[in-house]
Amino acid sequence: MVGIGLLVFVWVAVIAFVLGCVLKGLHYALTPMHLRWDLYPVAHEPRRDHGGSYLEEKDWWTHKRRTSLAAEVGVMGEEIVLLKGVWQHNRSLWWGSLPFHWGLYLLVVTTAGLVVQGLGWSPPVLTSVLPWVAGVGGFLLLLGSAVLLIERSSSPKLRPYTTPLDRLNLLLLLAFGAASMAVVLAGGFGGAGAAVTSILRFRAPEVTFLLGAQMALGALFVLYMPYTRMAHFFAKYFTYHKVRWDDRPYVAGGPFSSRLEAALEYGMDWSAPHIQSGHSWRDVVTHIPQQDEKGGQ
Amino acid sequence: MERPRIASQGDLVRFLDQNEGIDPARLVPLPYPYEDWVDEPIKEITEDQRTRIEVGPDGVCGAQIPVPQSEEEKERLVASFLEGLRKLLTKENNWTFLQPLLLSMENCVKCQTCAEACPIYTGSGHMEMYRPTFRAEVLRKIVDRYIKPGGKLFPKLRGNDIELDWETLVKLAELSYRCTLCRRCAQQCPVGVDNGLLTREIRKLFSQELGIAMPELHQVGTVKQLTVGSSTGLNPAGLMDIMEFAEEDITDKTGLEIKIPFDVEGAEYLVLHNAGEFLSWPENLQAFAIILEAAGISWTLSSELVGYDSVNYGLFYDDIQYSRIALKHYEIAKKLGVKKIMMGECGHAHKATMAVADRLIPDSLRVRAESCLVALEDLVTSDRLRLDPSRNDFPVTLHDPCNITRSMGIIQPQRNILAKIAPRFREMEPHGVDNFCCGGGSGFAVCQSLNFPDWRTRVSGRVKFKQILEAFADSIEPETHKYVCAPCSNCKGQMRDLLTYYDAWERCGIMYGGLVELIVNAMADIPEGFLEWEFH
Ligand code: SF4
Ligand code: SF4
Repeated sequence: MVGIGLLVFVWVAVIAFVLGCVLKGLHYALTPMHLRWDLYPVAHEPRRDHGGSYLEEKDWWTHKRRTSLAAEVGVMGEEIVLLKGVWQHNRSLWWGSLPFHWGLYLLVVTTAGLVVQGLGWSPPVLTSVLPWVAGVGGFLLLLGSAVLLIERSSSPKLRPYTTPLDRLNLLLLLAFGAASMAVVLAGGFGGAGAAVTSILRFRAPEVTFLLGAQMALGALFVLYMPYTRMAHFFAKYFTYHKVRWDDRPYVAGGPFSSRLEAALEYGMDWSAPHIQSGHSWRDVVTHIPQQDEKGGQ
Repeated sequence: MERPRIASQGDLVRFLDQNEGIDPARLVPLPYPYEDWVDEPIKEITEDQRTRIEVGPDGVCGAQIPVPQSEEEKERLVASFLEGLRKLLTKENNWTFLQPLLLSMENCVKCQTCAEACPIYTGSGHMEMYRPTFRAEVLRKIVDRYIKPGGKLFPKLRGNDIELDWETLVKLAELSYRCTLCRRCAQQCPVGVDNGLLTREIRKLFSQELGIAMPELHQVGTVKQLTVGSSTGLNPAGLMDIMEFAEEDITDKTGLEIKIPFDVEGAEYLVLHNAGEFLSWPENLQAFAIILEAAGISWTLSSELVGYDSVNYGLFYDDIQYSRIALKHYEIAKKLGVKKIMMGECGHAHKATMAVADRLIPDSLRVRAESCLVALEDLVTSDRLRLDPSRNDFPVTLHDPCNITRSMGIIQPQRNILAKIAPRFREMEPHGVDNFCCGGGSGFAVCQSLNFPDWRTRVSGRVKFKQILEAFADSIEPETHKYVCAPCSNCKGQMRDLLTYYDAWERCGIMYGGLVELIVNAMADIPEGFLEWEFH
């Protein structure tokens, strides 16, 4: 009975996760082109060391634009691996945030490894390394969550901005980290591999109480994570690539042209006196209201 | 005086109900010779004024919102606000910024990494209501509770326990005018959340739905610019008088006979100046004319309404007004058939015209635009002007306008120019892309109403003034004349008010001005003394 329940719950969680990520991704990706709002330094700019842009060049539009994907990857890597921004600007939080994130990374790696094994590829190195990855991941998540919980409950700068739900979330992750570590320490990691294999084959897994609890906690987290602000793990792609670093210049007749033309046809219904509600953007912004008409103030 | 503290999530909401006055003793301390400086308190808004105008939770009045006449009117305004909030979240009404708005609304992890980046929050002595996330959090709670489906379920658990009423809205509106949109906080946010953008969206919602905006930005800002020609109120006839005066002044100072060109079709550059220069700092306009003529550049100004004022205050509060002005600028340039637009020394005009408008101007109106800093760098470093840097043998520091640096990445050209003309140049710390706002950003510099100028000089400009003193620490005595180079009209307006309030010309010999004035002062073919060292 427990096995069937877990099987269903894990698959529901996976489906909810994928669905949540896809919906959220579409929610951001399908918004119209926005006005330019880049923010420097921009990682792919050759002048990034001083925060410069191609607008520093005379007749910049006559030069070929140079960008560096490697530099972008480097900056993103530093952020993901080292949480560099937090280290630089919010050191006290970094001590909890780094183990917290690394705990999650390692548990994701563990899950991926178990899935790979479950699909039939099981090199010995994977088998010997995975328990370590899981154990260390669990420990780091436990440690990070505990430190963050304390910080968020005691720091005058964090406490007012922390909701009870935030604390519950951290508690859940703390329990998940503790359970993950306990599974390894109790020598039950082999059972995790078998359970994942069963789930992949849509069969009810046989699990100990501890492993069952660990998997249920993990599944619960996976289930709701994309619907919370923890989705920042992929929203960051948009905040960086589609806003902060989006310095692509407009080229007449290029991809921005048609999107702009479409946007200018949207009808707006703002109600302030200076706006002719019910007309298209093109009509409203090309019309300058005079003193004696609506909008003339 | 102990600062009111927020102890818990619920307190954040209750905090809105209590006022937190500015305590001069808590403002960031200033270095020598200002250790003993005692700030004059910010003027109180009188009881009589309070019957007419709403006041912010800090006792300051920026948005100047008329007091509603009845409870019904308050309710109607709250309903309009919620209606506007719904519109703000639709692509039809807000395609211009919907994506960054959603990203910033939905992904803040409340880590407070951004807090210490904000010169207003730190300059005020860490007043909670100035924290970059504070107003964003209030907006988020309103959206979560009143707009999102199921928002009223478990409000305490989810932190949505906010009750929306007119008083809360007033506080939100006023607080949206306590951030200069400098985006320093956004730069330091590891997630990429932009609290400056969220502040602008709040202002925009109030303006576009309720018709509430700082009057200096709207009625006597964009509305005046679009109808009279310039937010300064300058009409074309007045413009010509000023130009005539400027030409005479150039002749008096330099002996040069320069005719300031207007409406020259097919010129290389249409130069867009902030018209505030014409009235407050005509030497800036004159210096531009001298440099461009000396370098043999074909250039022109426009005499058409809006075309002689690069200002676009819509950038700070309203997408409709912003778009109208940006389109007008390009339409005028296109009609004249100029090869390029040159943005004069005005930071927000740079960003409004060159960066933000880059995805607003249709193909049929496209004209390339360039920063004056880039064009001037070319002239100065290619030796097209004969320069004698020894004429600028005094300490100079550079203020980086946020809109030109952080929002556009134009950092180095102005430094390359100064390297050629200012032998005693020194940087402020931090500088360039990490600079601090002057405190007059997002249009604040032009707001002279009620007690807002007091707030600008004591709070929002405090950190900048501290930086200036530190940059000149080695020569702070008043006998040594020093120059803060601020290549931006609005920043200069704020510098004028800052240095005046702190009496910095008398106490320390600190002047301010633009970049072109320094260039002309170093031009070997011009008689010495273009820079007059008269504080104004
Ligand atoms: S805006 Fe960014 S830095 Fe500030 S609290 Fe939110 S996530 Fe943290
Ligand atoms: S944009 Fe600037 S002034 Fe506004 S909150 Fe951020 S740092 Fe402070």
